[in-house]
Amino acid sequence: MLIGVVPFIAAFIYALGYSFGLLGVLNNGFTTRFWQSVFESGEFLKSFGYSAAIAIISLALSIGGALWVTLKFRRELDKKFLSFMMYLPLAIPGVVAGFFMIQLFSKGGFFARVAFQMGLIEKTSQFPDLVNDSLAFGIIVTFITMLIPFFTLLFLNVYKNERIEELSILAHALGANANQVTRRVFLPIVLKKTWVLIALYFIFLLGAYEVPLILGQESPQMLSVLIIRETRQFDLSKISEGYVVAVIYTIVVSITAILLFLPKQKNVYET
Amino acid sequence: MLLILFPFIFMVLLSLSSSWRFPEVFPGYFGFKNWVTLLGSEAGLLQSFIISIVISLSVGIVSTFSGFLISRAVFYHKKKRILTLFAYFPYVLAPVVFGACLSFFFLKMGLFGNVTGVIVAQFLIAFPYALIFFGSFWNKKIKSYEDLVATLGGTSQQTFFKVLFPLAKSMLLICFFQTFLISWFEYGLTSIIGVGKVQTLTIKVFLFIKEANYYYGALSCCLLIFPPVVLLYFNKRYVFKNLI
Repeated sequence: MLIGVVPFIAAFIYALGYSFGLLGVLNNGFTTRFWQSVFESGEFLKSFGYSAAIAIISLALSIGGALWVTLKFRRELDKKFLSFMMYLPLAIPGVVAGFFMIQLFSKGGFFARVAFQMGLIEKTSQFPDLVNDSLAFGIIVTFITMLIPFFTLLFLNVYKNERIEELSILAHALGANANQVTRRVFLPIVLKKTWVLIALYFIFLLGAYEVPLILGQESPQMLSVLIIRETRQFDLSKISEGYVVAVIYTIVVSITAILLFLPKQKNVYET
Repeated sequence: MLLILFPFIFMVLLSLSSSWRFPEVFPGYFGFKNWVTLLGSEAGLLQSFIISIVISLSVGIVSTFSGFLISRAVFYHKKKRILTLFAYFPYVLAPVVFGACLSFFFLKMGLFGNVTGVIVAQFLIAFPYALIFFGSFWNKKIKSYEDLVATLGGTSQQTFFKVLFPLAKSMLLICFFQTFLISWFEYGLTSIIGVGKVQTLTIKVFLFIKEANYYYGALSCCLLIFPPVVLLYFNKRYVFKNLI
């Protein structure tokens, strides 16, 4: 366990020390001014809210899309070839997904060229800002395209394992209509079985780095991008503020991990 | 189906293109020029590919075996709930933030800016995954097998080599694939600990994006995507079984 825990604790203590001025080249001793400065500037809260909003929107749309695909196409996706096809997007890392989105949605990208050829625009500047934009359109679309295949496969697996097909037939036999089967049988079972993973993905998206680095804007930035920008900058007096954000972020995800994983450990290995 | 295949087709086509200026829908040049450059190693892509393979293989092998062995100790420990929870902390933390906070220690240990440092750093995030992954392997049935071997006079070595490893063979393979992919896809941590000196494929893609060299970028993306496609083909049916 030392391999997993010691580096984590060491990293946390280092960040904590730096944030209180106990470590660092220009720091002279204990101070809370970096914490005050972070909360007064409001950049952290803005970044946290921005990251959380992107994560929630991306997750909600991805889960909604995946539930719809599962309900509509589960029989087609059962076929061997199509089932393998659904796995293919999992082979695309965030770096590649971000790069691909730039190629599609930037002002000189694929869709801008198509729009030009169709006579919809006359110059690149007329094409809307879809990457590095203020609404984080590019980031959200990238997350959705990465998550829908994952959640679809996950839900399909739950559908089979929990025998939802049989339960649906039973519900129909007892007089339920299609809408009721979806709301009272399909959704509760699927969401109850996968909520921990959904929550885990919220944490992952909150700390996402590559995609917002490529497709994000200068301000506000997503949490990981902000932390790295602050801790790696040339202005040494500002580095401590970056570690303040890192400490808060670490505490938030650690508490979430405790809430998510501690209660359900009971009898987890008893089979 | 077309939607799924589109990114793959687009990346391959872009990697074969050059002189693709706005507003042309089709590139001015289409051929293997970029790929030949790769073989000539002008852009150092082949080197990056080999470095990525070496790093991911090392991380995959070491994480899988250490995760397997240590997860057994965790399972038999009285405080397994707390110990397992500890494993989640480095797992849920963004690797790049983890790397930023750890970089000081890597610098002090002489692991900054070299392949060994990147392997160690990636191991720190792949190992908790392996530990959590093998948590589902250990149960009363496995313990009974171990007890049976001991009762019949088997040594602990024989227990591992004749019973546990054969029983866990498919899980070991899947865990290796998964940890290989964690390492293969990793960018943030690698960029912090490797400080640009260890140029894995993900680092190369970023460099090409910064240089606006999209053709080489697409080529790097192709090299980055295809090994995982092959791995996914082999372990697709097991991936989700272990998530729920």
